[in-house]
This record gives sequence, C-alpha cells and structure tokens, in this order.
Amino acid sequence: MTTMKSADRIIILFSWSGALVLTGALSAILGYVIFKGAGTLDLKLFFGDTAPLDALTLKRQVFDGLFPAILGTLCLVVLSVILAVPLGLATGIYLAEYAGGFAKKVFNLFFDILAGVPSIVVGLFGFALAVFLHRHVSREIGPCLLVSSLALALLVLPYIIRTTQTALEGLPADIRLTALALGATRLQNIRHVLLPRSLSGIMTGVILAVGRCAEDTAVILLTGAVAAAGVPRSLLGHYEALPFYIYYISSQYANPEQLLTGYGAALVLLVICLGLFAVTFVIKRRLSYNALYRA
Amino acid sequence: MKKNGMMVVAGFMGAILFCCSSSYADDLSPFKGEKGTVKVSGGTAHIPVMKEAAKQVMTAHPDIQITIAGGGSGVGIKQVGEGLVDIGNSGRKPTDDEIARYGLKLYQWAIDGVAVVVNPNNPVRALTGSQLIDIFAGKIDNWKAVGGEDRKISLYTRDEASGTREVFWEKGLKKGEVASKANVVVSNGAMKTSIAQDPAGIGYVSVGHIDPTVAAVAVDGVAPTHETVTSGKYPIARGLYSNTKGEPAGLTKKFIEFLYTADGQKIISANGFIPAK
Amino acid sequence: MSGLRERILESGFFLAAVASTAATLLIFGFMLVLGFPLLRSGLFVDLLTGAWAPAAGAYGIFPMVAGTLAISLLSLILAFPVSLGCAGFAAAIGPVWLSRPFRRMVQLMTGIPTVIYGFVGIFLLVPIVRGLHGGGSGLCVFSAALVLAVLISPTMVLFFSDSLDRVPKSYLDAADALGATPSQKLRLVMLPYAKEGILSGLILAFGRAVGDTMVALMIAGNAVQVPESVFDAARALTAHIALVIAADTESLEFKSIFVCGLVLYLFVGLMISGLRLLSALGHRR
Repeated sequence: MTTMKSADRIIILFSWSGALVLTGALSAILGYVIFKGAGTLDLKLFFGDTAPLDALTLKRQVFDGLFPAILGTLCLVVLSVILAVPLGLATGIYLAEYAGGFAKKVFNLFFDILAGVPSIVVGLFGFALAVFLHRHVSREIGPCLLVSSLALALLVLPYIIRTTQTALEGLPADIRLTALALGATRLQNIRHVLLPRSLSGIMTGVILAVGRCAEDTAVILLTGAVAAAGVPRSLLGHYEALPFYIYYISSQYANPEQLLTGYGAALVLLVICLGLFAVTFVIKRRLSYNALYRA
Repeated sequence: MKKNGMMVVAGFMGAILFCCSSSYADDLSPFKGEKGTVKVSGGTAHIPVMKEAAKQVMTAHPDIQITIAGGGSGVGIKQVGEGLVDIGNSGRKPTDDEIARYGLKLYQWAIDGVAVVVNPNNPVRALTGSQLIDIFAGKIDNWKAVGGEDRKISLYTRDEASGTREVFWEKGLKKGEVASKANVVVSNGAMKTSIAQDPAGIGYVSVGHIDPTVAAVAVDGVAPTHETVTSGKYPIARGLYSNTKGEPAGLTKKFIEFLYTADGQKIISANGFIPAK
Repeated sequence: MSGLRERILESGFFLAAVASTAATLLIFGFMLVLGFPLLRSGLFVDLLTGAWAPAAGAYGIFPMVAGTLAISLLSLILAFPVSLGCAGFAAAIGPVWLSRPFRRMVQLMTGIPTVIYGFVGIFLLVPIVRGLHGGGSGLCVFSAALVLAVLISPTMVLFFSDSLDRVPKSYLDAADALGATPSQKLRLVMLPYAKEGILSGLILAFGRAVGDTMVALMIAGNAVQVPESVFDAARALTAHIALVIAADTESLEFKSIFVCGLVLYLFVGLMISGLRLLSALGHRR
C-alpha cells in the first residue's frame, strides 16, 4: 500500500515538474525576445534612414533596415508555395484516392524519408543543383532566389502531401461514396465533394508550409541568402531574408545598436511564425463549427 | 602588371578629380545612367567597406543593385573563378595556382593588419612570438602563465576558407598548428563579438575591425596600429584584394575603380584600413 | 472528350507522385555521385573513423560524427524525462482546465523558429553556462544540448500525449471502475499500452536532433575535436556542412561534405525503416 502511494507521488511530482520546466523554458525564451526586442520596434528598425513611403514604393533603397529582408522572405515564401502546393496536392490526391495498397506503402516510405532529411542536406542539394545548372545549362544561374525556392519547396513538399492525404482519407465513408453511388466519376467526386470538404485540412498544411519556409535558415544559407542585397529584384539574384539576418547579426553585430536590431528582427519573425500557427488553430475550430452546424 | 595599369588609370582619374575640385557627386558620376547588378562575395574583412561603398553608389543611382555576401577569402576566390559572382574579395593574395586556374585579375585597395585580440577585461596586453605560438598550439592553457588571471584560455580561430586565418597562421604562428579544441567562428565580425563576450578568450582579427569592445595585444613588443602596419614594423599584415575573372567590364569595373577614388579611399580609411594606391 | 480529360488529369496525379519520389531519390543521387571520388577507393570506413585535417589530406569526419552523437544523445537524455512528464500531465495528471491550455501552448511552441532558439541560446544561456562551469567559453556540447532539448521537447510531448490518448476507453473505464487514481491509471494502464508510441516518438526526436543545423552551428563551438567532456566544444555533421561549403568545388575537402550529406541521409533512411519495423511488430501483437 505504501510503496504504491510513493510511486504515485513520484509520478505526480514528475508530471508537474515536467510541465513547469517546459513552461519555464518557453517563458524564458519568449520573455527574453519580447523584452529585448519590444523597445526596438519603430520605423527606423524597418526602414533605416529612408522615408517609409519612398521605401514602400521602391523609389529609394533601404539600408540598415529590415524591409529588404522581410520582402525577401515574402518572395521566398510565395515562390516556394507556388512550386510546392500543386505538386503536393496532386500527389496527396493520388495517394488518397488512386494508389493501391503496395504502391501506397512504397510512396509513403519515400515521403517519410523526404520529411526526415535534414534541412542542411536539402540546402546542400540546392547548392549542388545550382552549380550543376551553372556549369551545364546557363552561366546566369547560380545560388539565387529561384534555387532557394526550389529547395524550400522540396523541404515542405512532405507536409503538403501528408496533410492532403490525411485530410482526404479522414472523410467519413458516406461522404466519400455518395457521389460515386449517384454516378459521378472519380474525378468529379474529388473535385466537387472531397476537396471542398477537406479544404481546412489542406489549408492547415499550406499554412504550416508557409511557416516552415519563413523560418528556415539552413537551406537559404547555402542557396543565395546574403548579408546585403536590397529588395529582391530578379529570380536569379541574391536576396536578403529575415532568419538569415538574425543568424548573421547574432555573430557579426558591429555595435550594440545593430544587436538590438537583431532582437527586433527576432521579435518580428516570432510574431509572423506564431501568428501563422494561431491561424491554423482558428481554421480547425471553424471546421468543427461548420461540421456541427451544417451537417 | 595589372596593378601598374590600374595605377595609371587611378592616377589619371585622380588628376582629373584634382582639377575639378572634387565634390561628392563627381566620384559617383561614372555610374550615371548605369543599370544592373554587381555580385560581391568573399573576405569578411572587406564587408564594411563594400557595404558603405555600395550604399553610396546605390543611394545616388537607385537603378544599380550591388549584393554583398561574406564567406571568407576562399569562397570569394572560388566563386569569382566559377563565375558565380562578379567580384571575389580576398584577404590574402590568391596563389599563383588560383590565378592561373581561374584567370584572375587582382586589385589591391588596402593594407590591413591581423591583430591578436583579447577581452578588454583581460590585463594581458603583450605577448612574445613564442608565447603566441604556444598558446594557439594549446601548450599554454592558463592565462596566469603569461601574466594574467588564473583562468583557462579560450581559443578562437577562423574557418578554413579564411584569408585572415591563412595570414595569421603563416606570419603570426609561423605555420604552427592551432589546437583542435579551438572554437571556430566564420568571420571577422564573429571573431570580434566572440572575444567581446568571453572574458577568457583570445583570437585574431583584422585591424580594421578593432573597436573598444576588444583589446589588441602587442606581439614581440610591436602593437598593431596604423603606423606600425604601414611602416611594416608589425609583421602580420596583408593586402585586401578585390579579384575578378579576367578583365572587369562595365559596372563591375566602375565599382572597383570607385574604391580608388577620393571617396573610396575615405571609406577605406574610415573603416580602419590603410588605403593602397 | 471529358473521359480523355479525366484520364489525363488522373495520370497527372500519378506523375506528380512519381515526380515527388524522383526528387527524394535525386537528393540521394547527388550526394552519392558528388561524394563518389572519396567513396571509391574503399575510403568510406576511413572517412567515418579518421580525423579531419584537410591541410594534411585527411578528410575523416569522425570528430563530427562524435560531435553529432554527443549533442543529440545528451539532448535526448535531457528532454525525455521532461517530455514524458509533460505528456503525463497533459494526458492524465493535470486538471482539465490546465491541461487543455497546456497542450495549446506546446503546440504553439512547435512553431517557434529554430534560429530564435539559437539566438536566445547565445545571449542568454551561454554566459550562464560559462559562469556555472567557471571557465571555458560556454560554447560547448552542454549548451547546445540544452537548447536542442527545448527545441525537440514540444514534438516529443505532442507525440507522447497522442500515444497516451490512444489507449482504448474501455481500458480506462475498467481502471476507473476498479478505483484507480489518475497516476495509477497512467502508470499501470496508459504507459504500458503506449510503450511503442513512446519509443517511436523517441526515435523521431532523435532524428530531429541529429538533423538540426542552426543550434549546433551557433552554440556548440564548432571545434574539430572529439568532445571529451560535455563542456568541450564540438562540431556537428550538419554544422560541418554549413562551414565547409566555402571550400573549392574541385577539392576533396568539398567532396567530403557530400559524404556527410550521404551519412545523414542514410541515417534518416535507417531511422524511418526502423520505425516502420517497430510499428509492424507492434501490429503483429
């Protein structure tokens, strides 16, 4: 009787301390970034010495401000998503609707491997690809925005495939079969019934992919992100990016003011990524609302 | 050979500028009406100068884009040789093998020293050459052995692509080895911040990067200052080069020439280097 | 007409799947082909066990393998008890009004960018470790492992709680009927049932730790040595790739990073296959 009680007490202690430790670590990290970064949030952080309106209309360049890096990250994200979503969506549809048992297992194995490949290896692949294209296709191509987006698209492809497949497969059997029973073709079923119903799951996957592209540093480190480039002008050019800026500043700040901009950048990136995450929560909750009230 | 040619051009331009009571805009006027991109990468010591020069050019002529990356001298030479960038900076003279293989044209626009630095809280300000070699080899591992506090020495060194490291190893350590336990940092800026944050740290950094957050150490009685580097008294020195693959043309050429103009030289001196004509 | 269009679209889906698979294999192919010169002369074992001294022609990646293992294993050791505790809290011990927001918080944590962990680690943690150890630079295996542990904990916690939640309700009801307290339920019913899920979670977290670049690059010191104590600086395979990318593309030194990439890729393959095997064995029961 007594030994059981102490074992239980240990477990309770264990669980509570685990929860407290993790919460403490999170508070330390968030608190530190917010505390140090909040004071730096002003127009100068984003636009340096350039007037904001001139910067936003691209009339004048911004030096020593976050604006080019934010724009660079934006371009990167948009391009990567444009490349990854169609491919991932189609693959996910194939896996959920058309693949047979064995084929599904094999494909899933490959995509699990792709999901597990470290981001630096994907970046290395991107770099090797850039050099290969540079030597054999066109001297204009090198590590650049386009190559980075390709590599990032590869990085997030498994997310999109997985969430699409799970969303489609998770639909209840009666919804999946009704249209078919009424004579619709497979494709019509997918297009008019299944996809609209799994939209929230797919959207969650896309937003997770967006978040992943925004925060990744290892891939862009090797494929074209640089210390100073201004606003991205061409797909084949170098560019700045927010996570790279944070990494760069963390070790190469020339004075305390520059270090403070690093905190500001960290806060901005944190807000962007956590904001995207919060959006996925909202989407999931709205789905249950729809399912409950419109079924 | 090419340097002689550059000196003629620079001298010519200098004469013109001298005659036209040079104002700010004149040095930048060759860029008027130019569009396009110049990609620069390589030596991290060059970055502050590159950034400032690029800023001046781009502010006056917004159609021009100059992108600047670091990576170290090795990266600069390799990337310009492969054609991945237009200008590859290096903090060491490219080897004959590299020049031949890539067809490089060298442009030296500054002289810089490589100084041994410690944290400002560290009382040690002078070391002999052999002490330096032993410290970096790991043989001396406590500060008290060289007159400091009783504290283990934290070694910092640069990555393998670094020209700064190459020069320091050759001229400062006399090709002695660096202990494998040394922390590796990837740029002059990173070296500076690491030493500034670590009270027991010792490393080496470009003289142009020295500021109040780190303290320079005299080696064999010679402190690394502008005078001693220029006069050659401080032996651990190197040129700062911008290299191109073959003869530079257009915008690239103009950007390099800008470094030799009065404004360019002003930027170079302001960043702690000694402009080389 | 529409039948043909349908057929085209459907083969389009299949082609997409093939293309995605091809991309996965292409990454492997590039690593293999580009690292080939080093692999050919039976040097692979030498590479894995030798020291790194490119000036002397030695491209062994053993110090980096040791560095990766040291940092990842230590982070796992640090993270596992905390994560298990958190999962127990979320699934059983914690009161409902706390455990729900706690889960939300953990989910949110998975969205924090890695580079921010590294950034905070450098400026907040490293000075503390330096002071604690009374010397050294603070850039060491221990600091990196600590930050990495915080990085991988949320995923582990979510995975563990998921496994604990999967316990069939009938088991839980039976335990309640017998008068078990929450902690007894956790210890005697839920944990044993979720054993495999927990093992899978551990393996996945280990994979994540091995694959991380930024934390190791920014905090572990990057010294090329086999770490002898947790307060020694070390270099991970991933950080090594990021650092050596600078070298000349023709050189053997450069090609050695493709061997690193290959090693990492093979590790992932092994890990995934191991997980598959584990779940297959589990289902057999």
